[in-house]
Amino acid sequence: MDIVRIRNLKKYFGSGEHRVKALDGLSLSIEKGRFTVIVGASGSGKTTLLNTIGGLYRPTAGEILVDGVNLAELSEDQLTVFRRRRVGFVFQDYRLIPELTVRENILFPLALDDARVDEVFFGKLAGCLGLGGKLDAFPYRLSGGEQQCAAIARALITRPAIVLADEPTGSLDVKTGQNVMGLLKMTVEVFHQTLLVITHDLELAQMAESVVRLRDGKTEVQKCDLCVPGV
Amino acid sequence: MESILKAVGLKKYYGSGETRVRALDGVDLEIEQGTFTAVIGTSGSGKSTLLNMLGGLDVPTEGSVQIAGTKLGNLSREQATVFRRKQIGFVFQNYNLIPVLTVWENIVFPLSLDRQKPDREFVENVVKLLGLKDKLDSLPGQLSGGQQQRAAIARALASKPAIVLADEPTGNLDSKTSDDVVGLLKRTSREFHQTIVMITHNPEIAQMADRIVRIEDGRIVDNCVSYKSRL
Amino acid sequence: MEDMLRVLTRRSFRAGKARNLMAVLAIALTAVLFTAITAIVMGALESFTLTMQMQKMSRSDGEIRYMTREQFEELRQSDFAKEVGLRIPVGFLTNGRRHNVEFDVEDEIQAKLTFCMPVYGSVPLRANEVVASDLALRDLGVEPKVGAEVTVAFTAHGREYVLPMVVSGWYEALNGQMSVMWAGTAFRDAYPEIFCYTFPEDHDMTGTYFSDFTVGSKGHLEERLRELVFDLGGDPDDANAPDYMQAVVNTATNVRPSPFQAGAVVFFGLLFMACGYLLIFNVFDIAVMREIRRFGLYRTIGMSRRQVRGLMNRQALWLSLLGIPMGLVIGFFAGRAALPLMMSMVATEYQNIAADVSPSPLLFLIAGTLTGMTVFASTRRPVRIAANIPPMEAFCYVERGGGRRATRKSALGADIRRLAWSNLGRNRRRTAFIMLSLMLCVVLLNCAGTASDSLDVEKETAFMIRTDFAVVNVVSTSNTKGFFRHTDALRPETIEEIAARPGVTGGSGIYKNTAEDADVTYDFGHSLTGETFVNDDSGLTFGFDEIYNSYGLGNDGRFICNVYGMEEVALARMDLREGERDAHALYEKMSKGEGVLVGVPVDRRDMSLNPIMDLVEVGERIQVYKDGVPVLDLPVLAKAALSSDDEEIGYTANGVNEVGGDGLFLYFPSRVFEELYDDPAVYKYSFDVEEGYEEEMTEFLEDYMEETDPDINYLSARAARESSEGTQKMIRFVGGFVGLIFGLAGVLNLINTIVTSILTRRHEFATMESVGMTRGQLTKMIVYEGVFYAAGACLLGLILAAVLNLTLVKRMVDSMWQFTFRFTLTPALGACGVLLLVAAVVPAAALGCFHKGSIVEQLRMAE
Repeated sequence: MDIVRIRNLKKYFGSGEHRVKALDGLSLSIEKGRFTVIVGASGSGKTTLLNTIGGLYRPTAGEILVDGVNLAELSEDQLTVFRRRRVGFVFQDYRLIPELTVRENILFPLALDDARVDEVFFGKLAGCLGLGGKLDAFPYRLSGGEQQCAAIARALITRPAIVLADEPTGSLDVKTGQNVMGLLKMTVEVFHQTLLVITHDLELAQMAESVVRLRDGKTEVQKCDLCVPGV
Repeated sequence: MESILKAVGLKKYYGSGETRVRALDGVDLEIEQGTFTAVIGTSGSGKSTLLNMLGGLDVPTEGSVQIAGTKLGNLSREQATVFRRKQIGFVFQNYNLIPVLTVWENIVFPLSLDRQKPDREFVENVVKLLGLKDKLDSLPGQLSGGQQQRAAIARALASKPAIVLADEPTGNLDSKTSDDVVGLLKRTSREFHQTIVMITHNPEIAQMADRIVRIEDGRIVDNCVSYKSRL
Repeated sequence: MEDMLRVLTRRSFRAGKARNLMAVLAIALTAVLFTAITAIVMGALESFTLTMQMQKMSRSDGEIRYMTREQFEELRQSDFAKEVGLRIPVGFLTNGRRHNVEFDVEDEIQAKLTFCMPVYGSVPLRANEVVASDLALRDLGVEPKVGAEVTVAFTAHGREYVLPMVVSGWYEALNGQMSVMWAGTAFRDAYPEIFCYTFPEDHDMTGTYFSDFTVGSKGHLEERLRELVFDLGGDPDDANAPDYMQAVVNTATNVRPSPFQAGAVVFFGLLFMACGYLLIFNVFDIAVMREIRRFGLYRTIGMSRRQVRGLMNRQALWLSLLGIPMGLVIGFFAGRAALPLMMSMVATEYQNIAADVSPSPLLFLIAGTLTGMTVFASTRRPVRIAANIPPMEAFCYVERGGGRRATRKSALGADIRRLAWSNLGRNRRRTAFIMLSLMLCVVLLNCAGTASDSLDVEKETAFMIRTDFAVVNVVSTSNTKGFFRHTDALRPETIEEIAARPGVTGGSGIYKNTAEDADVTYDFGHSLTGETFVNDDSGLTFGFDEIYNSYGLGNDGRFICNVYGMEEVALARMDLREGERDAHALYEKMSKGEGVLVGVPVDRRDMSLNPIMDLVEVGERIQVYKDGVPVLDLPVLAKAALSSDDEEIGYTANGVNEVGGDGLFLYFPSRVFEELYDDPAVYKYSFDVEEGYEEEMTEFLEDYMEETDPDINYLSARAARESSEGTQKMIRFVGGFVGLIFGLAGVLNLINTIVTSILTRRHEFATMESVGMTRGQLTKMIVYEGVFYAAGACLLGLILAAVLNLTLVKRMVDSMWQFTFRFTLTPALGACGVLLLVAAVVPAAALGCFHKGSIVEQLRMAE
């Protein structure tokens, strides 16, 4: 089953002479439960694609279905609820809320929904990401890797349809990056989540089950069950 | 050939104790006058830190940098600034043009800080080469990314610096524009005999330089003539 | 889980200390403005009302007269009134001397409503007990003391009564002329024959019931009151009807502000609202802009717009809860401090002004609500921006320069001043707001400065009084009474005692004809329409001419005029304009009966003779009649321009209106006046004192009023000058206060904007430094930015101030005679100097505080 189905997706920024075609007729489908990596040069449209799937951008044209929902049909407020319930975001710069403790940060998306906390799930998730002892600390007391783990837990707490990670290791040194990526991969496997990651790092890309390569706003290659992406 | 830039035993540590990060861990580098060098490495490898050290934007923990015979470590903050504006040209990933100044004003801005009259003929040559002739009265916000980066390159060249340092100059550009911009950098290097050091994580882009310096975890692991220039 | 949002609100609230401080200051400042103006308005209204009520001797909402006992009981039972006082008039005492004592039966409610509750002792319970004022008791020859025995004599239903009574309590009289002595209902029950009801037959009010009352709601009071009278079975209209029942609304209590006053309040309200808006909007706008990424993050991870709005609104509410009470308290005290200054402007015209304001809940409610409304209005846009920012845009949100323009002619170089100038255009709205509030500060200060400078203290003082001192009967200084009775004349002993003081020079008693002098009349060839009316106070008949000027008429139907008699020294002080200009020669001629001096009121704006009042020419003859027989035929020898002092004293003119009306003002030597009038009454004693004796004379007069003759009052040149200077001070104070608040608002805005600019442009600054801008050049640039804000505001402010000065202020000032327009830009220039200095210092200091560390650190912080 495809969790993401995209057909002829276009996303333009600006207008007239300065129009930038970030996505220009891109088609793609991503299977549920898979770990997919998006690679491509800077400016190839990776981040735009990820943000469009996450409901942060509205497509200029084309069809985009995520978890069976046609994003083009949602109102601004419905999109917000969609993001809150069905999408987990992980960013290069963590983007934790500095005033909330790690526990509060992780539970925040649930709080926005007034939803009940599944303590067992929360415990498992925190344990899996090695956050057990840090739950009451504020983000600034944590190392970069730990902060990113907290962000990953926040992305997973709502059991979203898809986890989107934009350069999750971009701010970390090589070793920590590998650790975090390992944890991310392991966690999504344990909880049967679909994961879509943007990375520059070819080594990290090798951990994925499938690879999408973008070039100038179009899908250049989509390969499944690949271990080594082509150069 | 004489070396215009000489870095010896450069080290830069952030933090202390357990959480100490070794961004640069003993770098020795010499750059020859008039060459176009690419520094390549993954995120967090220390390449940006290296560039900051070379440009005198940051102070090394250990080691020294010498540009055109001047040791940067011996300069006061004020002297370093004046040295930078006379001897070093910067090109940044996000262009960093001053939004309220026109392209022409941006280009001559470092010169006017020195109350110098620009060498009109030279600057006009640069402008012509970079294809900015009819954009001189435009404000940066009205230009495309490639045009903005070309304006930034013109600004870096205007004062005929000893060296131009470019930090991921193509990071925000699509692949075709990237090729154009790096091609232009290479042409200016040839035409004006300008020394250029460029940071990139893109191996394809790096191949356009004369030399490639590969850096990993704060150390130089490879320093060789590029594949293309070997042809 | 909902409380997580609250946790977040609370913690991010605590984290934003600098922002909170700014916001609380902004809100508090707004609240100060609103509270101060509300306190001043309410205090002025309160004081004014109380003063009027004291003059009217009632703080009721209205009064009904001539009821029967049954009708009164019906009134008491009805739900029309809240408090119903009982008053059964008996009559004026006949055994007093100067002080008029009205003797009534009253109850406590009535006494409270009419300011005659005993301050010492208690209310009368037994039939022989009374309460009276200190002045009434003294007049009856008794020391005010509880238990004192006093004899009261009065006439009721044609029968004379002389009763021994006991003082159960006493109070201090509100004025020297008249006060109430009252007995309790036990007195009524003890003497039923006094209180028999005969009103329908003889209109004798003794035995009828009067009532001062208060009501709950004051809407349509007049109509409701009429209806009530009909319901009680009375006739409110026909004064001669047997069932006549008079019912009047107390206009002293139910004051209506004039459109001008209401307009001024609305204008200042709006001005302050604008000031608060400029300030609060900027604080919140900047706060949102600074944290825009945070809102982007909230929206990314699924916070709805409503939730963001809730979060922002809650913070705004908390900030208001901190700022408003602070502002209310400060504003209340500022307003209360300003109130006496404001009231001093009217103090010369109203006696016994009580300038205070009570911290009533209504005041705080009004001010708090206005502030709350301003906070709400000014936070709408920032809150909307925070809630509606598309999540991804938040992360690349920059304030773009250049606005809509795509190109601009390039300068040869890019110098720092130009760069700074261009930076102002980044956020036009904010730039405009800062300039506006700074500019308003300059303009308001200058307008207030011009107005206060233009107030011509000497002119006003000279118009009010020509001598150092003038002593009159206290009625003359009352705005509702005035001198028109022989009984209000100065006692000869008083004049003698004052004249005997050391240092007194140029003293002259001034005679003035009164309503009793209707036997002496004048004919100066002016014709009347034949229409007449009877003046209730003086009892004189008045006639009209074609332009509805009114003239008091004597017994023979000729003009009674306003006639004065004075010594030569006093006449020499007058402003002779036409005819014989030499005062000595004039006085000589007049003394020989060769003519008369005519005074003409002036148009105060240019001090020229008012043509409407200028009825005779020099050389024309005036015939003087006594008891209808011509006694003199006098030519007009000269004409004088009258000041307020020549007519009466200070600004009062009531007595004049009660006697001669708009008829001629005639001035005679004392001797001539004494010959002409049978019982000449001295209205005023005017005199100068030698240098150094002012203090002593003031003390003497104060003392004399207190101890010897409570019926007199005086005005001194110094008091007149002080009153005029009080007005000047008040204009300066109010203008300065409002200007200062605007200045503060502008400076706060400036600080806030500069600091924000430094924080949000870290990356840009780091870029500039990396391409070779030195720290000094950076400081220079940011200082230029600050100075440009101020310079722009100052330039606009100076231009606008000059324009307003020459138009609005000039016109306002010209319309008031006390002012002589003087153009000045000094206050504006002073304000500009301060603003420019502040605008230069603030950015330099802010850069030092907020832009530290190496370029790389700056770049990293910005990302």
